[in-house]
Amino acid sequence: MDLAAIVHRSFFPKPELMFYIHQSACISPQHTIGDADLNTLCASTENKLKAIEPDYKGIPPGILRRMGKSVRMGVGTALSLLTNNISFDGIIMGTANGGKEDCVKFLSQVIEYNEGLLTPIGFVQSTPNAAGAQIGLLTRNHNYNVTHVHLGLDFEFAMLDADMLIAENPGCNYLLGAVDDISAYDYNMERKLGCYKEAEVSNKDLYQSKTPGSIAGEAGVMFLVNGIAEGSVAMLTAMDTLHHHDEHVVKDKLLQFIQQYLPENEKIDILLTGENGDERFVKYYTACEDAMNNDVTIARFKHMSGEYPTATAMALWISCHMLQTQSIPIHMLKKDTHKSGYKHMLIYNNFKGIQHSFMLVSMPV
Amino acid sequence: MSRIVVTGMGIISAVGNTVTENRLSLVSGNCGISMLEMFPSRFSGVLPVGEIKISTAALKETLHAHEPGITRTTLLALHAMQEALADSGLTRNEIAAADTALIGASTVGGICLTDQMYSDAQSNTTDLTFLSSYDCSATCIHLQQLYAMNGPVNTINTACSSSANAIMFATRLIKHGRARRAIVGGFDSLAKFTINGFNALHILSSLPCTPFDEERNGLNLGEGAAFLVLEKEEDAVGKKIYATISGYSNANDAFHASSLSDNGVGPYKAMKDALTMANLNPSQIDFINAHGTGTENNDKVESVAMIRLFDKVPSFISTKANTGHTLGAAGAIEAVYSILNLYEQESYPGIQFTVPIAETELLPNLEYKKTAINHVMSNSFGFGGNCSSLIFSKA
Repeated sequence: MDLAAIVHRSFFPKPELMFYIHQSACISPQHTIGDADLNTLCASTENKLKAIEPDYKGIPPGILRRMGKSVRMGVGTALSLLTNNISFDGIIMGTANGGKEDCVKFLSQVIEYNEGLLTPIGFVQSTPNAAGAQIGLLTRNHNYNVTHVHLGLDFEFAMLDADMLIAENPGCNYLLGAVDDISAYDYNMERKLGCYKEAEVSNKDLYQSKTPGSIAGEAGVMFLVNGIAEGSVAMLTAMDTLHHHDEHVVKDKLLQFIQQYLPENEKIDILLTGENGDERFVKYYTACEDAMNNDVTIARFKHMSGEYPTATAMALWISCHMLQTQSIPIHMLKKDTHKSGYKHMLIYNNFKGIQHSFMLVSMPV
Repeated sequence: MSRIVVTGMGIISAVGNTVTENRLSLVSGNCGISMLEMFPSRFSGVLPVGEIKISTAALKETLHAHEPGITRTTLLALHAMQEALADSGLTRNEIAAADTALIGASTVGGICLTDQMYSDAQSNTTDLTFLSSYDCSATCIHLQQLYAMNGPVNTINTACSSSANAIMFATRLIKHGRARRAIVGGFDSLAKFTINGFNALHILSSLPCTPFDEERNGLNLGEGAAFLVLEKEEDAVGKKIYATISGYSNANDAFHASSLSDNGVGPYKAMKDALTMANLNPSQIDFINAHGTGTENNDKVESVAMIRLFDKVPSFISTKANTGHTLGAAGAIEAVYSILNLYEQESYPGIQFTVPIAETELLPNLEYKKTAINHVMSNSFGFGGNCSSLIFSKA
């Protein structure tokens, strides 16, 4: 065992979370907004899973026209949760690519017009905090407003932030969300890095492809969270992150995570993984599956979401939906144990093999 | 609850490469604003900026940082982080421990390579060197790998208030027992991208900026990095303790994407809530390191908000007249300056100031003096209405 792993075992700060999810909204490549239907799988085209956007009735058309896609999805999901005059006490967002399209558009103008006279709109909208800022602006909310941008762990740190806020301010409601969109520029750069497959692969065949790379995805996901169990749909029991490249360290971490945070005499019902069809990262998922007891159902979600830095936000939305409906769409199953009565779900994801996250999502008690 | 204390600091800016050099520059009222010269641009030689006159190649040499894909932003961060770590005396094991957090803040990130990023985005090149370098998170991921860190690592971007929020987040991680100590900083370098962005907004001054002056006509961009090491007071026995973090708040102006409301709703709420948290009356604040960018909008609104909150506005300055506006690094750089106010018990002179703003008539502090300072407030306001205030107190 290497030194890093020993250091990691030596001390645990306190990664358990404890907050409750009351409402959620998700604009994604699947039928997740409005009447959700996860049983019908929407197909990818040209290795991209693009979000099915609603008509955004709540956003004034003049403002909507100027919004980039990630901002639109963020604002659209937030507004859909804020019906019935629900008040909230802060906005915590995670994004890696939010604003990237405007950023590259403006950057292209800088070069193509040789630093001439430019219009500032793209520059102003290029900041990743644009989605959180727009939600604050449109709802006239003057409270806590922050954006976490740590690539494949943006949403995880937003969750941690929300959890700390709830501990600091019991009884307060927070909007916790994530947005990322596929921009042409970003797709080009990520493809050159080998993150997306060279040959076209349908999302239906994603896990059989045995080649490097995944397919691109995007979504806007929003949760209304607080510390009150009553009326909630799911409970976030624990979350932890890890930066490491060794699958054995990842497996150890997962085992410790379960040992520490799964209540005594309880068991994991479903492992939901971020397996993404990239053969280079299969080892991490295999290691985590190996760590599970035989009676754990194993499911996957990247054929629904595509690969992008905040995909775990959609995984959490899917988990809430599965707990509520007590069912798993057949296309998600990797290993079916034909059991019913789902109570505890474990989500494991990694981004580019270096950023790992673990979440324990449970039925509220 | 144990207090959170600052046990190490590091900084590099247009007015110095170390904490000591920066302090001496503040004491003497040095202005680090000069004409842009370190990279080719239409603005080279004609636009005043707060530029660090060390080439990227020289930084790589000094820091022995020859990894492919490393950017100027990361080099500045590494420079400041090394100083902060040495200053705090953290051991290599402490740095690598699972209970040590690394929290960074940046807005420019790798976009300092504006031309390179353009080529990559257009797929005009087969060069892969910088493809992973542009993201805001690239610096923290580099530092995490370099120091083999195992604790929580995160990056925050709320535009110009980014590193104030990073300091807040790091402090809260310790308070909540999610980390025992935190290394937290902000870093940004000058870039064609941001220069042209602020130029398009018509808020760049063609002269050295004049914060809180009636004749102010815009900001100067700057570059730099600063890091703090935060520990629990009980863990810092026998160490040099610079200051405690006694209050902080994040509020949103919710008015406009790139300007503040006339009444300064966001700035007022950020300052007020930080005071409440620190359990202080407004009159107990001895010094304010204002956001003070030198733009028409910011300085007037910040003045209005200070007048609304304080019966008598405390002694204040904007050190952006010294360093330029370092964007994502500003909150951390100005935190170091605020902590120096406390640690050295001295106030620094505001520079480039002549005539107060007619409507508000506020006069920044104009002379260096040794004086009793117990509590210092540092303001950072950003695009998207993101307003944050921090309060540091004498240890």
